[in-house]
Amino acid sequence: MTKRRLSNRIRLERFLAKEMTQAELGQHVGVTRQTIAAIESGRYAPSLETAFVIAEVFGKPLEEIFHWEVVDR
Amino acid sequence: MPKKEQFARIWLVTLVVSYSAYFWFASNANRDSLWDQLLIFAATTIAQIIVIGIGSAVIALKKSQGPSVDERDRAIDNKATRVAYNVLIVGVIMSGCILPFSHSGWVLFQAAVAAIAVSEVVRYSIIVGLYRRGGYD
Repeated sequence: MTKRRLSNRIRLERFLAKEMTQAELGQHVGVTRQTIAAIESGRYAPSLETAFVIAEVFGKPLEEIFHWEVVDR
Repeated sequence: MPKKEQFARIWLVTLVVSYSAYFWFASNANRDSLWDQLLIFAATTIAQIIVIGIGSAVIALKKSQGPSVDERDRAIDNKATRVAYNVLIVGVIMSGCILPFSHSGWVLFQAAVAAIAVSEVVRYSIIVGLYRRGGYD
């Protein structure tokens, strides 16, 4: 079975949003800076609600921020 | 480092040190004296309360941005509690259902305390581990 993991482009979107910091994004979303760091690095898959809020902060649809990445076959 | 991880580290170190001391003193004290055993247990509990209380106060006073607890903290806590619960159940079965057929008083009491101590140590070890390496969803 194909193994997949949730990947994201939050780091890039933060850069494009005038280099928004992880702490600032965390404040917008309502989570800690550490949680944003964990999401960015793929160590934590956020809840659907949080994922939608993150996408909303960047003004993008959810699928543009989060996507599946094949890691193993 | 998230506040919850700092709390977990304090709990973990305090539990390991205090329960190590507790079991050493309890095994060397008079096993037939209820008061001796209760005194050691009470001293351990009071020491834990003091150390964890001071540690928690220091952490709580530190300024931090954003919420103190979020969904990731809860996910980590849920997973750690789930595993620790199973450890506790095994300990309770041992001390309450199996050991009574072969041992008496002192051993049963210490087995029950050990079940609680081990499950708590497991819980906080998992919390600290999950904050470091992820894998909790």
